[in-house]
Amino acid sequence: MGHTHRETASDGALVRRVLAGDVEAYAGLVARYRDRLGRYAVHLLGDQADAEDALQETFVRAYRNLGQCADPERFGAWVFRILVNRCRTIGGQRAKRERVVVRSEAHVAEADVEHPADRQAWREAIRWALDRLSPEQREAFLLKYVEELSYEEMMEITGAGESALKMRVKRACEAMRAMLAEVERA
Amino acid sequence: MNAIARFVALTLGIPLVAATAARAQDPRLERLPAEARASVSPVIDSARAIGLPTEPLVDRALEGASKNAPAPLIVQAVRRLAADMGRARDVLGRAAGQAELEAAVDALRAGAPPDVLVRLRDALGLRQLAVPLGVTADLTLLGVPADSAASLVIALARSVADSDLLALQRDVERSVALGAAPLAAASQLLGDAAPTGLEAGTARTPATPTTRRKP
Amino acid sequence: MPEMEDELIGRVAAELRRPVRLDPAFDDRVMAAVRAHPLALRPWLFRRRTFSVTPLGALAVAAGFAGLIVATTLQLARRSEEPGTVTAASVVPFVLHAPDARSVTLVGDFNDWDAAATPLRATGASGSWVVTVPLPPGRYRYAFVVDGTRWIPDPAAPRAPDDDFGTPNSVLTVGT
Repeated sequence: MGHTHRETASDGALVRRVLAGDVEAYAGLVARYRDRLGRYAVHLLGDQADAEDALQETFVRAYRNLGQCADPERFGAWVFRILVNRCRTIGGQRAKRERVVVRSEAHVAEADVEHPADRQAWREAIRWALDRLSPEQREAFLLKYVEELSYEEMMEITGAGESALKMRVKRACEAMRAMLAEVERA
Repeated sequence: MNAIARFVALTLGIPLVAATAARAQDPRLERLPAEARASVSPVIDSARAIGLPTEPLVDRALEGASKNAPAPLIVQAVRRLAADMGRARDVLGRAAGQAELEAAVDALRAGAPPDVLVRLRDALGLRQLAVPLGVTADLTLLGVPADSAASLVIALARSVADSDLLALQRDVERSVALGAAPLAAASQLLGDAAPTGLEAGTARTPATPTTRRKP
Repeated sequence: MPEMEDELIGRVAAELRRPVRLDPAFDDRVMAAVRAHPLALRPWLFRRRTFSVTPLGALAVAAGFAGLIVATTLQLARRSEEPGTVTAASVVPFVLHAPDARSVTLVGDFNDWDAAATPLRATGASGSWVVTVPLPPGRYRYAFVVDGTRWIPDPAAPRAPDDDFGTPNSVLTVGT
């Protein structure tokens, strides 16, 4: 019953149910956005545990502030904005700290697809390259190419202007190309 | 009463005040083996007589009972905790509340020298110390040198709420779990959050008198 | 060559678009935290990370955990240092991922170390066990008991410095 409801109800309907006191309806929103937001956080932060913490805090903050979600039908964009800000904060806290490289469990779990060794090496090369982008470039690159957002959506989520975002994406691509071309040649 | 006399009284379980001995025994202690109950009750009565909180002692005894520990082990654990709470109160002063004493005991047991706790108490003046002490204890348990842990907590506790202090502690735990060096992780995360950029191992002159309100 | 470069970025994007597997208990953790704050939609409660409830309020808050709330509510009143005073409590979720467990209970300073007082609830097929407990500010030692016999500390919390009885405990500080 609840399941069917969660799968078919719009974001706005779920938000309204939660606001009316149906706490369990929030599970539908979590299930709907958890994977996509989780993917962004894992790639942006480069660490599974940090990403899950950021995501959990995001969902809890979104819940507590749900009454401030101006357009419940666009809950997804709203919660994405909270996550982007949360990842910036966590990234900033870690910025000066010595980097601790942890191989994500998810990556290890999927490493047996195709040619395991090649695939794993390719993933690690991408991770290595992503880590070397500036936080702003990494954010813009992931939103543009992985989340496939329009610049208009990216402006809404990041608060940055279009020309700044385009510049970040362009520089991120140039840097990724340069770094990964080196890897491919090696 | 000097510390030695109190230590002897607590560890031997000598009732210090007649009225205390007459007080009804906590019914929860019925769960203890009879042999343990007979020895634990006087320790608790003695602690009460000198104004130490008794709840942690009852809890420790009940933990032993639930874990089916032998009576001598339960008695030893309760006596040791009573003695350590006495030490902690010597350090923090008579106004220290239960949570502050429990945190201080953990810090001392984790290897923090008493003067570190004194420094923290003096530096934070009128602030409730339970959370700053708890965070100091837990950072020390994680492997951050006690003096550095206290310095970081002092720097932060002047400007952030208890909930933020606890959140930062969790960040440090996570970093250490991921392989970061404890002192480096604590200095980085807590140092970043501190408004004045105090470095680990430095202390400030107390800004407020050492008198604190009773928790 | 531009085509080659675009192809490279395309392959990077395709790799990064693959699903990332999250902790199976993730939804349970979020919902446990969310259920612990059912009144948070009232704006005056937004100010704190943990919100305060009276023991009576906690009763309503944890209606989904009726089996244990009686014990924890009584505990609140007893732990108050001054009898008759109402102690504000934070609602704390405890979560253990134990897919093979048949039962999990929570024991600690807050429930007299009574292994029957605070059972955790299995949450669907994820293997997570959850309970929320209202706790007044303080420092608590606790552990989980799995299948009635195995005592284990909380993997997500600091370890208590002493181990008087042969099994380690976790320690939790609850702020105001």
